[in-house]
Amino acid sequence: MRNPLTLTINGEQHDLLIEPHWTLLHVLRGQIGLAGSKENCLEAECGVCTVLLDGKAVNSCILLASLCAGRSIVTIEGLGDPEHLHPLQAAFVKHGAVQCGYCIPGMILTAKSYLDEHPDRMPSRDEIREAISGTLCRCTGYQKIIDAIAAVAAERAGKGAQEDAP
Amino acid sequence: MSFQVHHPQSVADAIALSQQFGDAGRFIAGGTDLVIQINRKRQTPAHLIDLNRLDELAGIAQTPDGFAIGALATHKAVERHPPFQDALRGLVEAARVVGGHQVRNIATVGGNIANASPAADVVVPLLALDARVSLVGPRGARTLALGDFLLGPGRTAREAGELIDCIHIARLPQRSATAFLKAGRRKAMEISVVCVAARLTLDDEGRCAAASLALGAVGATAMRAGEAEKALVGRVPDDAALRDAAQAAAAACNPISDVRASARYRRLLVEALVPRALRICVTRIREGRT
Amino acid sequence: MRPNQNTVAGRRLPRLDGAAKATGRYVYGTDVTLPGTLYGKVLRSDMPHARLTRIDVSAARAMRGVRAVITSADVPQVRYGNAVKDQTVFATDTVRFVGHPLAAVAADTLEIAEQALSAIAVELEPLPPLFDPEAALAPDAPLLHPDWQDYVALPVIAREGNIAGRSRMRHGDVEAAFAQAHRVYEHRFTTALQHAGYTEPRAASAAWDSTGVLTVWSNGQLPFEVQATLADILELPVSRIRVVVPGIGGGFGGKLRIGVEHFAALLARQSGRPVKMITTSEEELIAAHPRQAAIITVKTAVSADGRILARQGRVVVDCGACSGSGPGTGAVALQCLVGPYRTPNLLMESLAVYTNKVPSGSFRAPSGPMANFAVESQMDIIAKDLGIDPLEIRLRNIVREGDLGPAGEVLKDVSIEECLRRAADAIGWHDRAAEPGRGKGIACSWWMTTGGSSAVFIKLNGDGTVALTSGAVELGTGALTGAAQILAEELSLDLEDVRVATVDTLHVPYDYGAQGSRTAFSVGNACRAAAADLRQQLFALVAAQHGVPAEEMMLRDKCVVAGDKRIPLADIARQQYTGGGLVARGTALNPPPAYDPARVENHPLPVWNTPSFHAHAADVSVDTETGEVTINRYVVAQDVGYAINPTYIEGQIEGGVSQGLGQALSEEIVYQDGRVLNANLTDYKMPTSLDVPPIESILVECPSAAGPYGAKGVGEPPCIEPPATIANAVAAATGLWITSLPITAEKILLRLKGEP
Repeated sequence: MRNPLTLTINGEQHDLLIEPHWTLLHVLRGQIGLAGSKENCLEAECGVCTVLLDGKAVNSCILLASLCAGRSIVTIEGLGDPEHLHPLQAAFVKHGAVQCGYCIPGMILTAKSYLDEHPDRMPSRDEIREAISGTLCRCTGYQKIIDAIAAVAAERAGKGAQEDAP
Repeated sequence: MSFQVHHPQSVADAIALSQQFGDAGRFIAGGTDLVIQINRKRQTPAHLIDLNRLDELAGIAQTPDGFAIGALATHKAVERHPPFQDALRGLVEAARVVGGHQVRNIATVGGNIANASPAADVVVPLLALDARVSLVGPRGARTLALGDFLLGPGRTAREAGELIDCIHIARLPQRSATAFLKAGRRKAMEISVVCVAARLTLDDEGRCAAASLALGAVGATAMRAGEAEKALVGRVPDDAALRDAAQAAAAACNPISDVRASARYRRLLVEALVPRALRICVTRIREGRT
Repeated sequence: MRPNQNTVAGRRLPRLDGAAKATGRYVYGTDVTLPGTLYGKVLRSDMPHARLTRIDVSAARAMRGVRAVITSADVPQVRYGNAVKDQTVFATDTVRFVGHPLAAVAADTLEIAEQALSAIAVELEPLPPLFDPEAALAPDAPLLHPDWQDYVALPVIAREGNIAGRSRMRHGDVEAAFAQAHRVYEHRFTTALQHAGYTEPRAASAAWDSTGVLTVWSNGQLPFEVQATLADILELPVSRIRVVVPGIGGGFGGKLRIGVEHFAALLARQSGRPVKMITTSEEELIAAHPRQAAIITVKTAVSADGRILARQGRVVVDCGACSGSGPGTGAVALQCLVGPYRTPNLLMESLAVYTNKVPSGSFRAPSGPMANFAVESQMDIIAKDLGIDPLEIRLRNIVREGDLGPAGEVLKDVSIEECLRRAADAIGWHDRAAEPGRGKGIACSWWMTTGGSSAVFIKLNGDGTVALTSGAVELGTGALTGAAQILAEELSLDLEDVRVATVDTLHVPYDYGAQGSRTAFSVGNACRAAAADLRQQLFALVAAQHGVPAEEMMLRDKCVVAGDKRIPLADIARQQYTGGGLVARGTALNPPPAYDPARVENHPLPVWNTPSFHAHAADVSVDTETGEVTINRYVVAQDVGYAINPTYIEGQIEGGVSQGLGQALSEEIVYQDGRVLNANLTDYKMPTSLDVPPIESILVECPSAAGPYGAKGVGEPPCIEPPATIANAVAAATGLWITSLPITAEKILLRLKGEP
């Protein structure tokens, strides 16, 4: 039996009819056609399904869609598009952080969530390393992903410093 | 896999629904464990009772003698809670090694306790802190020690219709510290092969005024190592005292062999990690991080 | 054109598909959902070895929403496979591993398909299982494939009973050398099953059209092999099978062989509807194509000054229930057992053996890491015993330019000394102050650039850009961006002027496939040939129009420069619309070097094309109370011949090392009584970002004669040396060699405690 559910995804409201057991990932990919959130382990072990829920990274593969009513959902499609890349997306491309790319939407959203959680700090490389540890990448060995995130964090810190300057 | 999801707006409604559905109903908060168990067909509830709208279960509050961690407080909330960063550091250390950030952003402390996994990381420092679990149910509220709440793997003292309201921990005396250590095959995303939490209070002469040790993944539930604690109290925590505690803890635990590790290795880890956690406590007390 | 004057090739340019991937717009195999699709699931055996006495699908067929149910009775009775055709779509009368397909279902939803699987009644009568490949070699062992003699196999493959392939390499007289040697060392090593770990599961969608043509959207690495295998299974000509590869979320060799394409195709045929299938993590870990577990024995004779006099080796690779890639994998181990060392007498044997476990495949550098773990660990054991520095003993034995390789081939462009010295320098080899629980390790190897042909079509568009059509897929390595850089270089274009077409076997030229470190190398060469063809056509057109001799022309800045005239490529392209436009093609084939056939027996890859050389070094700490290993630094010096795009070559090294570190320290598919105990990503332990140390890549450029601008194969080598490097570093830190992979903390601690 399907139930009505309204979800706010990338700032747009979607009126849906869903099965109670459907996960947010299932709804995003199957009902709304937002395939940028990827599917793999379906047990929150790999992170390719990561989306932002009220600004925080969560695994959409084990999040029941019905628990998301009234909350803000942001997927990779909501961050930027190929002509208007979000700074994290641009940095990932520039630093060679993208190989097969299957983990990259989740990785970028994991990074965004972490940087937003720590708006006033320039995280160390080790902190960035820890921040993305819930998202598996098999291609890159993480190094260039960390480079990309560190570059965005440094740019942000630089801007902050400029704004603070008299 | 077919169930209905209910979204009660009050604790009373949630309890009523739980009573109504009995064994066919399950509470869901973050769902990070439950949804996996349902997908693996290890749990087949007909009704899920969503607790996320019950604001009174959220947040971490100061109480006259300590803190009340709401059942819906996430691991991330514990990890980031400013008053936990010093003497209660062990709690933070446990919260921050549960899954990835994605899980910690949504997985709740209440859920972790209710699951009663012997390897649940946060349960171990809570046990070392003599945490008490407040439950509300059809017959009112009650509070019991966390150690009495945990009965076995996946089994708790929670009765029909009861839900966890909050977890109480007492503020620690002066010159106290906590520490948490975990061993797994990887450095992240691990279910503990062994985890150890220590709480130590030193008196002015540098002797152990109080000591508490809890172990995870080495028995049917997270457990206290009482003999090891006794081996410490009244003594200066020197190498000999720590070795005695380590040996007592290793003797007290009852690990199994599984795909993650052998029982023998788990015991050796207990012996290695117990003194290490205690040493960290001593250092923290000396550095005044209490 | 000199490589050092290149402006596009050799540069750190961002990959062509980067923005699409970073914004979630790139389409992968799992993203393809055809209108009206059904969802397919496979019923798998829960017994390792059993007679299938009954399978009743009537209840499943009768379920609402179930559109097709197929078993062995519904599919052509054909056997397929690479080296040995020993595989069937479904178990017919015998199941040979837990996970062996018994039936498949297509239904309106995944849930209905899953329910239908549980409605299928199966009766299995257990047969005695065989899990140990050495036990399978015993003369009285039961035969896992009693009809093995009826199977079709490649002529080169030697088989007998449970041995699906036996290869040998021999030279000189090892027995005489052992008898006269200063010392002889013999060791046994074991390695574990390792999953390729691509983050995108194997997936396929299939649909039949009104003309009887099957289209399969696959995320496989070898579209033409998928096509050929489907042709075998469906008993159809290849022209009636179209394989489209939208995008691939990693492969690493795990997606070489057919995955679920055949189930989707057969279910689509029975249902008359499109069918989509995606494997679960559990299926990946019980029934994909992992790296074989291996047992390796190495016996090496040395002189007092540490020179290798002879080496005898045997590798037993556990193929599992079907041979899969086992015979070739085992054979390739032989070259790795010799290693980049002068070995005057050698006798090597590989045995690919059937057991009742998952049929295995060819994960990145198949058998390379296993063989390297054995010989490079032993090298250090010998060095320690003889009191020689581990770097020094290697330098005394390495091959030099013009030496003969194991098959008697002449070795060219040999760079192993530079790789060893640079890796050693970077890790601070000569500064190894004794520090308890800390140590440095080094290991080296060599590897091939796989041959096989590539062809490309290029089309000059009216805006001066070029469409590049190739049969090679982009796995994620960046190889096609590399090939596009070469094409752009040759045509004086910018990289962004090259558009790479999606692979569709209907219209792309044949390619041997994205495997064996060959894609950028081989497609790059084909691009150079196609560019030469296009240049020739352009120059002829301009010569006819402007009366300038073609030999005086050149391409510069997207123009044909003819004397004082500069004619933009875009203009020529548009002019040629009346003539059908400008298209060109190029092909490439890197033939293997000459070798001595007397040195090899039944070896499918007897001699290596354009070998690369490499050395790794690590600095590790071992917690002697817990056994935990922490890698402080990791250095790779790899000869890449010519770095087409240094950024993505570093990416290959960093990623390959991290997979190798997984194999070294944490990854293993654990079997107990024929069942996988860790068939999920909770307990199958791939390295997280906290497990992978900083990796420093040193790109050595010793150009090859055959590769584009001198390039050599890059992709596979980085995962060869990590297990040996870590084993040697752990030994330096603890004094103990762990001879079985993975080198877990538990193994280390128990050994430190003196327990077995």
